[in-house]
Amino acid sequence: MKLGKLNLPLIITLLLFGAFVVIPMGSAFEYSIRRGLEGGYGLQNYLWAVREEDFSYYLIRSTWLSAVTVLITLVILVPTLTWIHLSNSKLRELIDGLSLLPLVIPVVAFAVGAQISFPEFIQSSVMELPFLYFILALPYAYRALDIGLKAIPLKTLSEAARSAGASWLRAIVIVILPVIRSAVTATIALTFALSIGEFTMTVLLHWDTFPTWVTYVAQDNLLGAIAISMIALLVPFVLISLVALLTPEKEIKESN
Amino acid sequence: MEKRGVRKGASFPISPSSILPALPFLLIFGFFFLFPISRLIYVSFMSNENTFTLGNFQTAFEKPYNSGFVNSIKLGLLSAAITAIPGAVAAYFIETRGSSRLKRTISSMNGVLANTGGVPLAFMFTSALGIQGFLTQALKAVGIDLYANSFSLGTFTGLLIVYLYFQLPLMIIVFSPAISSLRREWVEAATNLGANNLQYWLRIGIPLLLPSFLASFLLLFASGFSAYATANALTVGNVPLTPLQIGGLLDGNVSAAQLNLGKALGVVMIVISACAVIPYLLIQRRVARWQTR
Amino acid sequence: MSKENLILQSISKRFGAVHALDNFDLEVKVGELVALLGPSGCGKTTALRVVAGLERQDSGAVKLGGRDITNLPAHLRNMGMVFQAYSLFPNLSVEENVAFGLQMRKVNKRDRQKKAGELLELVGLNTQHKRFPHQLSGGQQQRVALARALAFEPEILLLDEPLSALDAQVRSNLREEIRRLQLSLGTTALFVTHDQEEAMAISDRVGVMSHGKLEQIASPDSLYNNPATEFVAGFVGVMNYIPGYQNGKSVSILGSDFKVKNSSGHQGATSALVRPESITVVAKENSSNAVVVTRSFLGASSRILCKTLDGTLIQALVPSEESSELIPGAKVQVKISANEVLVS
Repeated sequence: MKLGKLNLPLIITLLLFGAFVVIPMGSAFEYSIRRGLEGGYGLQNYLWAVREEDFSYYLIRSTWLSAVTVLITLVILVPTLTWIHLSNSKLRELIDGLSLLPLVIPVVAFAVGAQISFPEFIQSSVMELPFLYFILALPYAYRALDIGLKAIPLKTLSEAARSAGASWLRAIVIVILPVIRSAVTATIALTFALSIGEFTMTVLLHWDTFPTWVTYVAQDNLLGAIAISMIALLVPFVLISLVALLTPEKEIKESN
Repeated sequence: MEKRGVRKGASFPISPSSILPALPFLLIFGFFFLFPISRLIYVSFMSNENTFTLGNFQTAFEKPYNSGFVNSIKLGLLSAAITAIPGAVAAYFIETRGSSRLKRTISSMNGVLANTGGVPLAFMFTSALGIQGFLTQALKAVGIDLYANSFSLGTFTGLLIVYLYFQLPLMIIVFSPAISSLRREWVEAATNLGANNLQYWLRIGIPLLLPSFLASFLLLFASGFSAYATANALTVGNVPLTPLQIGGLLDGNVSAAQLNLGKALGVVMIVISACAVIPYLLIQRRVARWQTR
Repeated sequence: MSKENLILQSISKRFGAVHALDNFDLEVKVGELVALLGPSGCGKTTALRVVAGLERQDSGAVKLGGRDITNLPAHLRNMGMVFQAYSLFPNLSVEENVAFGLQMRKVNKRDRQKKAGELLELVGLNTQHKRFPHQLSGGQQQRVALARALAFEPEILLLDEPLSALDAQVRSNLREEIRRLQLSLGTTALFVTHDQEEAMAISDRVGVMSHGKLEQIASPDSLYNNPATEFVAGFVGVMNYIPGYQNGKSVSILGSDFKVKNSSGHQGATSALVRPESITVVAKENSSNAVVVTRSFLGASSRILCKTLDGTLIQALVPSEESSELIPGAKVQVKISANEVLVS
């Protein structure tokens, strides 16, 4: 990396953007560690939140709902997309278009539609959420996988696997999935992040998950809710930054 | 559909002319998405007695729902307008000057900010800009008293400020691909052909980025226009916004004379959102022509 | 068009620890087409970019005749460059692309349209002037790029692997066309490529580069027949490395003695460098010294790959009508039909 005057605009950009991100976040954090009336700082709000029984209950619930969403996404999208790419079907344009449709529909409107459409046995089961999350994440998940599959010689790979005697299922699981693993990882991350933070659909359909629980907490214990919110924002923030920083730099070939 | 579905010689399982492999996707998508949306549209034209009516839409454009639309559109437009240019500039410097590691870190951080914001974001601002908040106190120390003019996060201005916090990262995310698709060859070719920096930007750079910029603006508008979580957490019905009004009707808070009013509001929202998102998608598709080559 | 020689004087350029150019000297005479040939990373592209002003050298000077243009910014250098691929402006039509250089030089619209038309005619694309780059094939795009680079009558035409992204057929057509245009317009040109066939086919002189230095610069003929170094010999054309024993000024290979061209007075085991066409292969049951491994029919001649008794693989180019017996497995006698050889 060249340093010096060339990178001054970048440094300014990063400083401004950093301030934009850090000032409210840091100031909220400062607020959340204040010690009520006696003054000074402490982690009591965080301790309260973590000790709260509902904290782990809703965290676990949100986690498994998100995991199910990821599973649904992979099980449905990988074979479908593989087939689309292999068969060159005319259905491709249709399915490409459909996958983008959820972007057009505001979640609020979608929630109203869901509420008036699904039969009772679906609406009474929390399992409706992963399917709805799947739809919400579809435009992103679909594109991530699509790009991954476009980048590999899919036809050759699958034909090689098939002629070596693998069934279609095995071909997908053993050959294709590993080759597109970075696209799969991206899909998993995207879908999981979107599901675990989803609020609008969940609350409008009267389900309780981690994000909606926070709003109830706020009614009794605002500081506790703020502490939980900080956890909800900071933990993925730190985790993702760490992962991004620790992943080795691959694109050295960029320079000519 | 089935006959022209697949070209001859396709080598996927069962029978090459079947759409069977796409069936699970189509069924789930149809049931969990197309069905509720069609039903929403259908029901929005139904009166309480299940007869066809335009009455729901009539009411949707009357008080107080019309000001909900006006406010929501204003919030979408303003939050997009304020963040579009700074976001584009930030994206430009990060994409062109940053190392790939920096780009990855920032893009994942932006992902968190733009997508998992919502309620935590609202509480974060509540604490930062509350009366006792650090930011409020700091601003007061430099002579800006937010609360002198009865400021509150639960107002239109307050919401606008909070919205910037997810709109700016969203702008950076959406606009970055356009920047990275500007080929080095184009700057170099322009320079080689005798263009100075300004001439390059006027004739090549800006014309190439403009469609993506407009597209990003449209997407930001749609995102601000339909955002629900943050507004729901920060306001108490004092700022009329369509998503909140729909939420209220859905919860049965309003003893509405028209049961299906909320559905009509939802349909109008879909139409407005589609007016932004569909051009966004079309522009993206057009631009992809020179982005992939 | 261009009236002055291009001179590069002891140019050095480093990227981190890599010496892309190491005291590099080059002179391109008026109207000449010089190719810089070398493996990737040898610094040939860097040299071109230094000439264009797109890369700033660490030391050394770039001159046009007596004029020092070292500090002239790239957009004022008046050099037309053709890039590897995809350098056409996607938002401009073919005609606007070609006229871009003229527009930057404040030529009025009518004149630049006329000139663009002429250039497009020269590259055979005058019917496509209203199209956009993405509607053209790769070969057509490079033709437009060539027209664009020539439209403002540049001092020097710079070609940075302009054919490398194209199909074989298109590639050989376009390279002839580049040469034809360059000759008819009398443009001085510097052409960078890693493809020796390409360089040898159309250049007046070829400079072979390695590690930021010019190994040898000469006409294609003398480069082929009299390579100055082993690197050049190996890089230009096909070369056999036949083990032998050097005794001062002569070397003994395959049982015969030859004069050493690049005499080093070395004593001991060495490899002799022999071109395939300097090797004769004759079918001989009795006094054979090799066996045919494969025979590839190339038209007028055939390439015979033989394996000598000590296991060395040797390629020979034999007229096809003399090669019908040289089938795989045939016992043959391999001879060298040159008087002098290079040793490594």
